[in-house]
Amino acid sequence: MPDAAHPSSGTSKPFPTAPKPFAPEDESALREALKRCSPSTFEAAVQFRKTGNAEHVPAVVIGVIERFVEPDLRIKLKDADDDLRLIEDLGIDSLTMMEIVILVEEVLTMTINNDELRNLRTVGDVKTFIDCKIRGLPLPKPTKFIPIEHIGAVMPIQPPFLFLNEASVSSTAANGKYKITGQEFFLQGHFKDNPVMPASIMLEALGQLAVLYLLEGAPTEPGKMVSSQMIFFTGCEGVRAHRICKPGDILTLSIKPKRMKMPLATFEGAIRVGQEKAVIVEEITLTFGFVDAANQPVPINGTEHGGSVNGAEASAATPPLRVANG
Amino acid sequence: MPRVFITGLGFVTSIGNDAATVTRNLRELRHGFELYPPFQKSDIPCKVVGTIKDFTADSTDQEDWTFPTRYKIKRELLRSMAPNGLFAHCAMIQAIEDAKLTEPDISNPDTGLYAASGGSPMLTHYHHERLNKLGVMRCSPLGIVSAIVGTLNFNLVAAFKIFGSSCGFSSACASSAHGLGYAFDDLSLGRQKRMFVVGAEDGNVDAILPFAGMRTLSLQNDPNLASRPFDAARDGFVGTGGATVLVLETEDEVARRGVRPYAELLGWGQASDGWNVAISHPEGSGSAAAMTRGLRAAGVAPEQVDYVNAHATSTLIGDISEARALRSVFKDSAARPLVSSTKALTGHGLSLAGAMETGFCALALRDGFIPGNAHLTKLEPECAGLNIPLKTLEQPANIVVKNSSGFGGANVALVLQRTAA
Repeated sequence: MPDAAHPSSGTSKPFPTAPKPFAPEDESALREALKRCSPSTFEAAVQFRKTGNAEHVPAVVIGVIERFVEPDLRIKLKDADDDLRLIEDLGIDSLTMMEIVILVEEVLTMTINNDELRNLRTVGDVKTFIDCKIRGLPLPKPTKFIPIEHIGAVMPIQPPFLFLNEASVSSTAANGKYKITGQEFFLQGHFKDNPVMPASIMLEALGQLAVLYLLEGAPTEPGKMVSSQMIFFTGCEGVRAHRICKPGDILTLSIKPKRMKMPLATFEGAIRVGQEKAVIVEEITLTFGFVDAANQPVPINGTEHGGSVNGAEASAATPPLRVANG
Repeated sequence: MPRVFITGLGFVTSIGNDAATVTRNLRELRHGFELYPPFQKSDIPCKVVGTIKDFTADSTDQEDWTFPTRYKIKRELLRSMAPNGLFAHCAMIQAIEDAKLTEPDISNPDTGLYAASGGSPMLTHYHHERLNKLGVMRCSPLGIVSAIVGTLNFNLVAAFKIFGSSCGFSSACASSAHGLGYAFDDLSLGRQKRMFVVGAEDGNVDAILPFAGMRTLSLQNDPNLASRPFDAARDGFVGTGGATVLVLETEDEVARRGVRPYAELLGWGQASDGWNVAISHPEGSGSAAAMTRGLRAAGVAPEQVDYVNAHATSTLIGDISEARALRSVFKDSAARPLVSSTKALTGHGLSLAGAMETGFCALALRDGFIPGNAHLTKLEPECAGLNIPLKTLEQPANIVVKNSSGFGGANVALVLQRTAA
């Protein structure tokens, strides 16, 4: 889903304000500024400065990030998807982030505020952010990383029926992970002496990720928020199971909203194990409802709030999925 | 009170980038001076510098710097360093190897680090110029920590994961001697078990040239004549940079680790001139008081001192002040100590000087020699009565005093003793 975060990528809208003519001295300054970046980064920057075409921005941004990453970690950027994390995966600290920003500002002739930087956590965040800045679009909600405690605090679904260990949510997508431990109660019978994760449960996990998206990432109406007690499953289309998943497998889940109009939200979803496709679902649709934001307690963290969502609510929230075991 | 020993040394100096080379050059009185290329301009009156070889750190971009391949320094560390931080980082690595310290020996609450450098005028200048030209938001987030006084301790404490005491000392040319003195106190008071003491300077145009404005630099263009402490024809000091690191440890740590120390630090003294912001007291009153206090603290009588490594920088006033201080402390007795200034070989390392020259004393004590006073042909008459050897003596000293003096009339005297082999 590399394009998830690019609402208008592929188009070549001109730079909102006509670019200044690109003089030879600009080119030599640019060459000096990018002297430790790859030639293709410099070339992309020249093209951007000459044409104002935002299509060149991702190559510049990735090239600048690469220049500040320790050489032995640069390989990760080669086939990076947008979920690659700046701190955890690339070892970029907040000071290095500042260095990246200063160089990007200089090269793309733009200004970035400190408070805009705080939530840039992934390569995709950075690309989207710069892209929106250059196109003059409103900035998307940043990707939020949601640890297990917080998932437990906000979700109506609770263990032993919660199939998310960690998740990240932005306004355009949600990603999550679940490790099949082998201790799941239903594996005792599914199957006899051969524990296999039921495809229905994998679909349930994708549905849970969509619930989390609705609660944490979805755009809402002013003064309203999605009620955790009003989300239910309505249907799904185009479900394919491609791989048997067993204890020890780590499921990488992703959903992207396709349509969202009160009271229905439709997503596409996928589960992978490593690079292997496990489940694809073309459409999964949930129904949801809004409540007044002021009346809802805002969870602080899992330990303080985890107990307030009880199991009865949870089981009512997501009725079992009506799909056959693939 | 636990006794304090010097157990490790690291050098990046104009006369060598390792202890063996430094020792050889001290013994053979080979200087580290060159005509410094950036000074070979008509509007720059001084020409000679004690240069650092095998390093280039003249660029304001740390990633342009070059240094011997045995030192591996990540960009993450390099980007916040001043040139003096680079020199010191490499000297730290040497000192750690020399003292045979393991990582747990270095990173624990009982091991601290005191440092002294004048900061980095070059990087301060560069970042301020950028600030004025491009605005503050285009300035490197690491501009401050790479440039201000304190850059040395900030960088080393973070890079080497120091958990004990740490701070910087700023008494100009007495700074790293103060660092050694207070490190001694921390160890002998039982506050720490091990201390790194670091002196370092950039030694480049921005660090050295401003002293020409004070008329304190030698204008000689012959590297063999520029630095002549105690000589009648001396005309100012020669600037230098680099770094020296000393590892100080308590006797318990020395015994526990089973290492052979270079020397024992017996004690120290300090006193101030209370006289002039930049000119030393004509009678050397503060220096004399510092020596007297240092000897008393060390429990050593003046007659027992074999060798004094003088502060003498080759300036007109300073060398005479120190000579008078030495005469007042050691009188004209037959047992008066040998006196020499190794700045005749290295030049004046400013904040680095005290640590560098204490390191030299430690080498001399361990290897049983007393460095001569190079480049001295005609003794300054006002310095008569001092016992100044022109050649290195292959004889062991037992008690050595190291003098340092800085702006504002700050004076430090450190007292060292040979340890049995």
